Amino acid sequence: MTPEIVGLEKPLRLAGMLLIFGLLVEAICLLWARPLAFIVLVGAGGFLCAAGIVVYLYSLVSAARVRPEQ
Amino acid sequence: MSPSTTLLLCLILFSAVLVSVLAALPGITASRGGKILAFLVLFVLPLLCMAIGVSSEVERSKSTSFCLSCHVMEPYGRSLRVDDPSYLAAAHFQNHRVPADQACYTCHTNYAMFGGVRAKMHGLRHVYVQYLGKLPQQIHLYEPYNNRECLHCHLGARSFEEGAMHNADPDLLPAVKANKMSCLSSGCHDVVHNVGQLNNVKFWKGDK
Repeated sequence: MTPEIVGLEKPLRLAGMLLIFGLLVEAICLLWARPLAFIVLVGAGGFLCAAGIVVYLYSLVSAARVRPEQ
Repeated sequence: MSPSTTLLLCLILFSAVLVSVLAALPGITASRGGKILAFLVLFVLPLLCMAIGVSSEVERSKSTSFCLSCHVMEPYGRSLRVDDPSYLAAAHFQNHRVPADQACYTCHTNYAMFGGVRAKMHGLRHVYVQYLGKLPQQIHLYEPYNNRECLHCHLGARSFEEGAMHNADPDLLPAVKANKMSCLSSGCHDVVHNVGQLNNVKFWKGDK
């Protein structure tokens, strides 16, 4: 039996939500051709995507590994 | 919308759908394949989207329409359409001596090392002033216009090197090339944008 990772669901959901919002911000900024769009893309979109990636990577290194009971 | 922007939007949408699936069904990451998928969807794809997105926005920030989208730049945009060849900016724009879709950037970037980065930093300052600062009554260059920016294209060109006016005085071209005498000096190419006189000029109607 391979070890299963427990406690990953919540951080994965949080990372997913952050990334979805980040990607949405990026998509809106690409459609909104104004100088402020660049600032919003890098500031808000970049921050949300970076936060999502950090949450995902942190969840990988902090997830507890347990062997399921036989 | 350009094809590259459409493609990028498709990639963003595709990534968002995959992220949504993973967020809704985190259990699929229990398998080896699921872990690889999660790494691609939650790490590689978002990074790729952001990198291409920022690059696309940086490229768009060079466009003439981007520069002219601020209200304060509107007269400078009009000055590109003056129907008078003595207007330097208009003559360059209308005759495609500079790419018409990157007219402002081509002349107002700095062709020295890190010139592009400096132009972007100035651009960020302009956005700050536009939205949060106080707009100046009259817009000035940060520093006197350097001949280097003109010579980037004109150096070596026959019309520049062999032009009658340029060779009337043997000291003129060396002084221009050494930036000791400005191309925009009085009596030479001194009519550039001249936005204060736009009420008294005719405008070119073509290439709309």
